[in-house]
Order: sequence, then C-alpha cells, then structure tokens
Amino acid sequence: MLMHLLTLTVVMAALIGAVLAATHHPAVPIPPDNPQTPAKIELGRKLFFDQRLSADLTISCASCHKPEFAFSDGGNAVSTGVGGRRGTRNTPTLTNVGFRQGLFWEGRSTRLELQAVGPLTARIEMDMQPEVLAQRLEAIPEYARAFREVFGEAPTLKTTTFALAAFQRTLLSYNSPFDRFQAGDDLAMSEAALRGMEVFFAESGDCFHCHVGSEFTDDVPRNNALYTVYQDLGLALATGLDEDVGKFKTPTLRNIELTAPYMHDGSIKTLREVVEHYNRGGEPNLNSDVLMRPLGLSEQQIDDLVEFLKSLTDRSFTTNPAFQPPR
Amino acid sequence: MSKWFLFLIPLVLTSAMAAPVELKINLRIGDQPLQFGQTYQTPQGQRYQINMVKFYISEVALVRPDGREVVVDGLVLADFKRDAPTQGVSVMRMEVPPGEYRGIRFNVGVPRELNHLDATTQQMPLGINSGMFWAWNPGYIFYRLEGTALLPDGNQGWVIHMGTDSFRLPVRIHDLQTRRVRIHIPPSGGTITLNLDLAAAFQPGPGGAFLDWSRPELRQLHGLSPQTRLIMSVVYFNMSNAFSLAQ
Ligand code: HEC
Ligand code: HEC
Repeated sequence: MLMHLLTLTVVMAALIGAVLAATHHPAVPIPPDNPQTPAKIELGRKLFFDQRLSADLTISCASCHKPEFAFSDGGNAVSTGVGGRRGTRNTPTLTNVGFRQGLFWEGRSTRLELQAVGPLTARIEMDMQPEVLAQRLEAIPEYARAFREVFGEAPTLKTTTFALAAFQRTLLSYNSPFDRFQAGDDLAMSEAALRGMEVFFAESGDCFHCHVGSEFTDDVPRNNALYTVYQDLGLALATGLDEDVGKFKTPTLRNIELTAPYMHDGSIKTLREVVEHYNRGGEPNLNSDVLMRPLGLSEQQIDDLVEFLKSLTDRSFTTNPAFQPPR
Repeated sequence: MSKWFLFLIPLVLTSAMAAPVELKINLRIGDQPLQFGQTYQTPQGQRYQINMVKFYISEVALVRPDGREVVVDGLVLADFKRDAPTQGVSVMRMEVPPGEYRGIRFNVGVPRELNHLDATTQQMPLGINSGMFWAWNPGYIFYRLEGTALLPDGNQGWVIHMGTDSFRLPVRIHDLQTRRVRIHIPPSGGTITLNLDLAAAFQPGPGGAFLDWSRPELRQLHGLSPQTRLIMSVVYFNMSNAFSLAQ
C-alpha cells in the first residue's frame, strides 16, 4: 500500500511537471549570433529541401530527414547519400531538435550551425566543398538574392548552415495525444496508453531516468546494453576511451512511432521489440548503464508501454505546411 | 653585464632588417611529382588515386645554427585543388632576419588555444567556410587526405582525417649536428621549398600493420576510434617524416 502511494506520488510529480511543460513549453533557445527572421527561416526551408546542395544534385537534407516520418528516414536502418554511398547509422528525428544540447549520436556537436557542416561536406552524405557550394548557390539568382537579403553577403557554407539552423529551430511538435492530455483533455489518451504512462514514469519501467521530462531525453550519451560487442563504438570514437564504448545520446521519444527502425544502427524493427529489449535487461557489457536490468514486465505492461509510446505521435507535425517543401 | 649586451646587439640589428621568405610545397609520391587522378601503388600492391590534400600549418620557426629559434606568427591552410598545380605551391609568407639557418620546424594542425573556440565566430583560414571544421567532434581536422582505392572488386573512396589535440603533427626538419640542412636567407629574401611525400602515409608500421583499404573500417580514418587507433598512429608517424627540404 505504502509502495503504491509512493509510486503514485512519483507519477503525479512527473505528470505535474509534464503538464507545466506541455502548457508552457519553453521557448527554443536562439543563439544571439543567429537571430530568427521569417526570411531566414524561409531560406533555410528552401535549402533543406534542395538537392542542389549535394555534389551530384541528388540528395537534400530531406532525402534522409523526411517530414512524413518526423524528419527521419522512413524504414531505412541506415541512409544513402550521394552516389549510392551508404552510411552506418540510423537517421535521427529532427523533432524539437532546437532543444538538443548535443547533436549526433555521440552528442558531441554543440550547435545546429556546426552540425550541418557534417552532412554537407561528408563524402557519404552530400559531399560538397565550401567553394563549390558557394559558387553553385551564387549561380542561382533566387539564392544569390535571398542570401544578400538575409545575411547582407553572397552565399557561403557558413551562412548556409545558419539558415538551415534557423529553419530547424522551428521544427516544434507539441500536439500529440500525450500533450493534449497534459493540457487537460482527459480523453486524449487511450486507457492502455495511460497505464503505459504509469509504467514509463515509475521504477517498474524506469524509462524516465534517461528519457527525461517532456522532451524524453537527458541529452546524455549512455549505454543501453544493446550489444555485448559493439560494431559502432559510439562516444568512444570521439574520446578514444574504453569506458565510452557503446554510449549513444539518449534519443527523444517524441514521434517515435514514425521513426522506425530504432537505435543508432536501426537494428530494432518495432517498438514492441524495443520494449522487450529493455524488459530482458539488454545484453551484458562492461559499460552497460546501471539502470539496465531485467524489468519483469508482464505482456500486458509491455503492450501498454507500446501504446504510451504511440501516444507521443503528433500528426500535425508531419503535415504542417510550414515544414513541407516550399512551392 | 657587458656579455649580455653584446649578445643582444645582433638580435636587435637583424630583426630590424627582416627579409621576406616564401614557404612553398611540392607534393610528391616517392620522388615523383603528384598528379591528381593518376594511379599509384602502395608497398602492399593496392592501387590508389589522391583527390584532396588540405592541411593547416602553424607555429612555424626557423632554427639558427646555435639552436635558437626565430618564431614566425601565423596559421595557414595549405589547400591543393584537383585542377591546380601541385609543385612549388606557395603556402605561407613570412618575414625573418636574413642569415644562415639550420632548419625549419612547424606543426601540421591548429594550435590548441584556437582549436576549441566557437567555429561560427572564427575567420578564414579557420571557421566553417574552411571546410575543415569537424562537425561531430568539436575542433578542426588538422589534415585531410582523400582519394580512391582501385580494389579488385571495384573503386572505393577513402579518407584520412586527422584532428584532436593528440594528433597535432610536429614536423622537425633541422639538423644541428651534421649540418646537412642549410637554409640561406639573403637580405633580399628567399624561398624555402619543402617536399611532402604523400606515399609515406601508406608505408607499413610496426608488425607490418598497414592501411588496408579492402577493410571498410579503414577507409574512413577519423580521430580517435579505438578500431583504427593502430593504423592512425602508423599514418601519424609516417606523416611526421613525410616532409623534407627540397634541394
Ligand atoms: C545521407 C543521409 C543524410 C543527409 C543527406 C542528412 N542527414 Fe542529418 N543525419 C543523418 C544521420 C545518419 C545522422 C546521425 C549521424 C551520426 O550521429 O553520426 C544525422 C544527424 C543529423 C542531426 C542531429 C540530430 C540529433 O538529434 O543529434 C541533425 C540536426 C541533422 N542531421 C540535420 C541535417 C541537415 C540540416 C542536413 C542537410 C544539410 C542533413 N542532416 C542531411 C543522415 C542524413
Ligand atoms: C540507461 C538509460 C536508458 C533507459 C533506462 C531507457 N533508455 Fe531507451 N534509449 C537509451 C539510449 C542511450 C538509446 C539509444 C541507444 C542506441 O542507439 O544504441 C535509447 C533508445 C530508445 C528507443 C529508440 C529510439 C530511436 O530513436 O531509435 C526507444 C523507443 C526507447 N529507448 C524506449 C525506452 C523505453 C520504453 C524505456 C523503458 C522501458 C527506455 N527506453 C529506457 C537510454 C535509455
């Protein structure tokens, strides 16, 4: 009974926190050196959907970050860049990406402006050199004009990343059944999803320690015991430290139903299999997070958790005309 | 006291009359001039082409016969483009006192104090437009070598991107003892030309470890990956001996 009361208090506290967050979700932090303006956001949107930003004119940011899949890569475990070159990682969602404190699966990139240099110049993504990109954009009158209007100068790699960042900071999604429930709509979530929410935010499921708050991430690289031997070493690729092998940034779970397959390598196909992974406690490895352990959830609880994860889907996000290719 | 005084006079005099010196680089494969797009072979028999060579030079100093150094300020990005010359390419201009030198030293890389500033605020040759900022791992790529491997089952791109403070590459081309290295800078100024032998990167290391492009994980050499650490250090040591004074 006491145990029950305790759990209930924890759930209530988590919910109250979430209600506050849902009704007044914090404003996206805007860096002082890259203020948002409508013209810049519109330029960023054009660039995001424009294949001319890639060496062979075939790939745009949206080739991998597709709006209808909450800006992930729709069923592809890994993505394909210019010349059919395949990467080794799953394309993350860009839902509320303006709030992420660390970008990429290691979480080591500090801001969107710097992050975009990666895909634009990587051989296996868009494969552009700074001079080529600048010349190509300058040769397109519409861009030559827009960059001058927005930045007062000709297009460069730098201003391209600034405009892309401005657009990405508008990618906000706060209209899922979960959000509507938080805002006071008691009928927004199904019974199963409500039960699943209790498991998620209680010690029984223990998801909320890493998938924290209303963004469902602590933005910290962690090892969720996916493998005993990791092919992709994660954070260790950047730090060279053995203790960082298998650590990847906790991903947000918003719109998770739309972003299958899951994990850094897209190795898990369905949400049910993800929850089963956690229920088993994952695969033993030296760096496995202390929170990873067999959970002993019933089949019913597993189904409920999956229903809860689906209540994080916001269709108004994937159909928002402001996030579609400009006409 | 008087001793110190005598010692100072030449220093003051010579620094007052600085001579312009140009640092030039020849890209080589062994002792041949590099040609972009031409096929070469590693000691292990893998065929390859080079498509891009880009690196930072910083913390340059010329070494006097007595071992003292004349430090030259500045950071440059040596950028060899596919359709541009690879021989006698001017990468840096400096001003040094004329006279005899026994060598030059510099680092390939960005000094630590500049490597971790916010790249959005830095100007060329640093900053985002350099194409050398390492998006996923804050800091710059110090040197960037890219090419194609012509493998039996098809062509594969490869990249060597070295960065992070632990891979800054010290290059020391001086020799006080044997006096083999001599650089004479007349008062009217001069040129120092270095050869950079890119084939050196592909020499085998301890135990015969070599950059084997038939292994996919070795086609993308980046920073500190434990999977590629051994080969990275082989390439690193090879590269620190890849520069020499052109005669
Ligand atoms: C070829 C597919 C592909 C293309 C094209 C691509 N991305 Fe990505 N994106 C990825 C993958 C894969 C990752 C994860 C990479 C990693 O962590 O190593 C990623 C990560 C990101 C992230 C980090 C998200 C997070 O939460 O950590 C952002 C932001 C992003 N991409 C924006 C862009 C922008 C802007 C463009 C266009 C300039 C772009 N991407 C082009 C595949 C792609
Ligand atoms: C120890 C911290 C931690 C805990 C506890 C945790 N997760 Fe995760 N979760 C992560 C990390 C880290 C990843 C990414 C791991 C990877 O890609 O290798 C992840 C990935 C996921 C994904 C896939 C996300 C995507 O975009 O691919 C889902 C879904 C998920 N977790 C749900 C849950 C649920 C449900 C629970 C509770 C049963 C839970 N997590 C508990 C850290 C945690």
